[in-house]
Amino acid sequence: MESAVSAYLGAAISIGLAALGTGLGIGMLASKAMEGMARQPEASVNIRMSMIIAIAFVEAIALYALVVSLILATK
Amino acid sequence: MEPDQKKHKKPMNTLEHLKQTEVINVEVAGIDASLTNGTLILFLAVALVVSFYFIVGRKAKLVPSLTQSAAELILDFIRSEMLSPLGREGEKWLPFLVSLFSLILVSNLLGLIPGFVPPTSNINVTATLAVIVFFTTHITGLRKHGPWSYLKSIVPEGLPFFIAAFLFPLELIGQLARPFSLTVRLFANLFAGHAIIITLVSLIIIFKSFLIAPFPVIGNTAIMAFEIFVAFIQAFVFTYLSASYIVGALQTEH
Repeated sequence: MESAVSAYLGAAISIGLAALGTGLGIGMLASKAMEGMARQPEASVNIRMSMIIAIAFVEAIALYALVVSLILATK
Repeated sequence: MEPDQKKHKKPMNTLEHLKQTEVINVEVAGIDASLTNGTLILFLAVALVVSFYFIVGRKAKLVPSLTQSAAELILDFIRSEMLSPLGREGEKWLPFLVSLFSLILVSNLLGLIPGFVPPTSNINVTATLAVIVFFTTHITGLRKHGPWSYLKSIVPEGLPFFIAAFLFPLELIGQLARPFSLTVRLFANLFAGHAIIITLVSLIIIFKSFLIAPFPVIGNTAIMAFEIFVAFIQAFVFTYLSASYIVGALQTEH
């Protein structure tokens, strides 16, 4: 394979897999947080706050992959 | 790849609108210190934050006006959300965290104005902020506990010696990875948002048809609204993590 082709392929695979994992992760996080909020509506403010922070952590992993794939794609 | 083929297949540069262009050329002792558009917007953000708090603080009243209650909202939020574990000791950390939060928030929001580059979408700016947080954390920890007990406090208390010896390098790597993750999280969020916006706009050029135009217009409106949300969330997350690092360094485990 040519190096340019493999770089584009690598970029696509990296962001695709990262998006898959991150989507699953955020989905699990949000579903559990909403279960918790439905069970204990009085704690929903705290739960929402920690959910947003946790989502920011998970999201950052996809963004690392995005940076990698942008570096690959603009090579 | 053939040369003429390469010319056609040249990828569109999605990073064009985030490029730093030199506005004023300055050279200090042989070092290029030119003011770019990003630097100027960062200066504007600093000026906005400083003048906002200066004006609000000078005319502070017991019954707050609208601007004063906005400032008090930010202060109370950071005090209650982030500094509550420190108690009264946390008061002296409030100015640092409030200025960090306000600077990041204002620079994120300024970047949403068309034609402006968000300063935080440049990795140098976020790396500088993260390095400041890193040194602040460890210098305060060292000054509070002394070198030996601060090094010991990296590993959780009460572990058997060989587990602690095993955990110590891992925890040390974790400590060193913190500024990196702070840097990339803020930078990549801002950067990715703007890259999505330019990609949606350039769909019109890629498809060579104006019939596709409704999709970028609707999509960009949604993305812009989301970017406002991201601007707040990222400013909050950066400040929250910095505060938790500082609180973790100050608190005694035993």
